[in-house]
Amino acid sequence: MESTDHLLLVDDDRQLLGLLAPYLQDAGYRVSTASNGPQMRQQLAGQRIDLVVLDLMLPGEDGLSLCRDLRSRHDGKAPAPIPVLMLTARSEEADRILGLEMGADDYLCKPFATRELLARIRAVLRRTRMLPPNMQAASADARPPRERRFADWRVDTVTRQLHDAQGTLVPLTGAEYRLLQVLLDHPQCVLTRDQLLSLTQGREADAFDRSIDLLVSRLRRRLREDPREPRLIKTVRNGGYVFCADVEGVTS
Amino acid sequence: MKLPWPRSLFGRIALLIFAALAVAHLLTFGSILRERGELTRNMMMAYLGKDVATALAVLDRVPPSERAEWLPRLARQNYQYVLAPIDASPADASINPTAATSTPGDDSELARLLAVAIAGEAGAARVGQPRREPGHAQILLPLRLADGTALTLRLQPPGAWVSSGTALLLGLQLLLLAVATWWGVRLAVRPLSRLAAAANASHAGQAVALQAKGQPGPRMAELGPQEVVAAARAFNAMQQRIEQQLAERLHLLAAISHDLQTPITRLRLRAEQVAEPQLRDKLLADLQAMQGLVEEGLAYARTAQAAQEPLQAVDLNALVDGLVCDAADAGHDAQLSGRIDTPLITRVQALRRLLTNLIDNALKFGGSAQVLLQHRPHGVQIAVLDCGPGIPDAELSRVLAPFYRLDSSRSRDTGGTGLGLAIAQQLAMALGGELSLHNRPGGGLEARLALPLPQPLVATSNSQ
Repeated sequence: MESTDHLLLVDDDRQLLGLLAPYLQDAGYRVSTASNGPQMRQQLAGQRIDLVVLDLMLPGEDGLSLCRDLRSRHDGKAPAPIPVLMLTARSEEADRILGLEMGADDYLCKPFATRELLARIRAVLRRTRMLPPNMQAASADARPPRERRFADWRVDTVTRQLHDAQGTLVPLTGAEYRLLQVLLDHPQCVLTRDQLLSLTQGREADAFDRSIDLLVSRLRRRLREDPREPRLIKTVRNGGYVFCADVEGVTS
Repeated sequence: MKLPWPRSLFGRIALLIFAALAVAHLLTFGSILRERGELTRNMMMAYLGKDVATALAVLDRVPPSERAEWLPRLARQNYQYVLAPIDASPADASINPTAATSTPGDDSELARLLAVAIAGEAGAARVGQPRREPGHAQILLPLRLADGTALTLRLQPPGAWVSSGTALLLGLQLLLLAVATWWGVRLAVRPLSRLAAAANASHAGQAVALQAKGQPGPRMAELGPQEVVAAARAFNAMQQRIEQQLAERLHLLAAISHDLQTPITRLRLRAEQVAEPQLRDKLLADLQAMQGLVEEGLAYARTAQAAQEPLQAVDLNALVDGLVCDAADAGHDAQLSGRIDTPLITRVQALRRLLTNLIDNALKFGGSAQVLLQHRPHGVQIAVLDCGPGIPDAELSRVLAPFYRLDSSRSRDTGGTGLGLAIAQQLAMALGGELSLHNRPGGGLEARLALPLPQPLVATSNSQ
C-alpha cells in the first residue's frame, strides 16, 4: 500500500523551495510548497499531508504560532497531528527548545545539507509511524508528556535534559538524546540495530555498522550502568536492544 | 625610613586634614602657654629682687635664735628659704649657661637673671652662684646674711605646667577634630565608592540581558549633595549609552548573521548540485568556513549573556565524555582521562560551548585532543592537551583576545576565525573560572580551565 508520502515545505524563500522541492521529489516524495501561513492552511485543507517542513522565521505569522496551530487543529478526521520538522536559522538552545515546546517533532539548523534534511524527514516519519499499537493510542494525545520518568531518572522532553535521582543534570549529546528518546518510546520492545539506526539517524545500517553499538554503550555510561551487567538497556543476542524499565509520562 | 602613606583616598585626605588641624591647634596652644610663662616671669623679675632683699633685711635684724620662726612668714608660694648652705654638690650641677645639660636653657637664664636682680637690690656680695637641685626642677640660690650665716633660697621656676583639666580639654578637642575629619572625609569619599560599586555591578552581559527584558541596568541613586547628584546623573547617562551600544552591537551581529544564513543556505544547496566532485567539495568547504565565521561572530556577541544562564548541578564526566565521543565519532583522535564524580554547579550551555571550542582548537591546530579531568584544592581542572606546535610564549596571552591570529600561514590555511579562544575566555569568566594556555614541555599546547567547586549553599539550585 506504500503510497508516496506527501511533504509540505513552508519557507518564505521561494528560491530555497525551488532548490529543495526537486531534490525531495527525486528522493521519492510528493512535495507541495507554501511561502506563508495562509498558503500553508490552503494546502492543508485541500489534501492529505504527511509531514510539514516549517521555517521558524516567516513574514506575518511566524513558524512557532503556525506549529502550535497545527498541533491544536487535529480533530476527528486526522488520527494524529501532522508531524512537524522545524527549520531554524539560529542554533541557539532557546529557539530550539521553544520550537520543541510548540510541538515540533525535530528541528534542523540552516544551513543544512540536503542529505541531512532527507535523513531527518525519514527519521521523523518513521518515529511517528513505527510506534507499537499500545503506544500509538497514547501518542494520539496531541502533546508528548512534558517529563518522563524511569527507574531513578527524569527526562525533560522540552529542554531535552536528563536528571539523576539527586537532580544532577547529566548532559547528553544530540545523538545520545535521540537514542534515549527512541528507547523511551518503545519500552520493553526489542529494537534491532537497523530499527534503532533508522529511528535515530534516518539512515539504513550496513552489515558492518557498529555505530549504534557505540552509541548504546555511550548511553549506558550516561545512565551509569555496569557494562558487564546492564539493567536498563539490555542486549538481545542476535536481535538488538531492549529497554527494560517502566516509563511514566508526566504531562505539563 | 619612609613613612607609611595610606593607600586609600579616605586615609590620605583624613590624615592630611587631621594632621594639619592638630598641628595648628597645638601651635596655638603652645604659644598661649609660652606667653603665659613669659608674663609670669616678667612679673617675678619685677618683685622677686625686692622681696628677697626685704627678706634678707628682716633676717639681718632678727636675732639668730628667732630666725627659724620667721622663715615660714617670709616664704611665698613658689619660693622658700632654708637656713643652711647648699649641700656640697658636684661642679657639673652648677648652672653654667654654656654647658646646660639636662637643664633647659630657659631656666638657667632665669636663674642667672634672678641672681642679678637680687644682687642689684641686696648687694652682689650676698648672692652666690645659682645651682640646680639634682633631679628636681628647683633652683637653689645661696645667700649670705649680714653676719655671714648661710641662707638658701629654694625657687620653683614658673614652668610651662598644664593643669590636668587643661590636658583633658586639649584631648577632647583633638578627639573632636578626629571625629569631624573622619565624618567629613567619609561624606566626600563615599559617593566615589558608590560610583565604583555601580560601575562594577554593571558588566556588559547583565546590562544587555536586562535591556532585553525591558529593564535598565544597575543605576546609581541620584541623591546627596549637588556635585554627587551631577556625577550620578552623568554616570547613569553613560551607563545607558553603553547599554544601547551593546544592544545595538548584538542586534547588528544577529541581523548580519541571520541575513547571511539565507544566501548561505541557498548556496549550499546549489553547490551540492555541482557535478565535478573536486569543485563541489571546495565550494562546500568555503561555505562551511563562511558559516563558521557567522556562527562564531554571533557566539562571541552572545557570550555577554552567558552569565544569565541559570546554575545547576552538572555531571562533568558525562558532559566531557559526550564531547570527546562526538569528536572521536567524527574521525578525530580524541581521548578522555580522569574522572570528577562531584557534581559541578555551573552553567551547562556555556561550559559545553567553552569545552567544544578548546577541543576543536586542539584538533584543528594540534591534530589530536586529550582531555584530562583533575581535582584541585579549591575546584576542578579540565585540561585539553594537543601535540601540535604550541604557541610562542610571548603570544600565549594575546591569542585569547578576539580576532587575534598567530601570524603563520599554517593558521590561515586551517581557517580559524580568531574567535574560538576569545569566546572560550569570555565564557570562562562568565563561569567564574580561569582559562590559561601553556606550552607543554614535550611540545604541544595545554589549555587549562580551572573551575570552582560547588558551594554548599547553591547546591540546591536545580533546573526545575
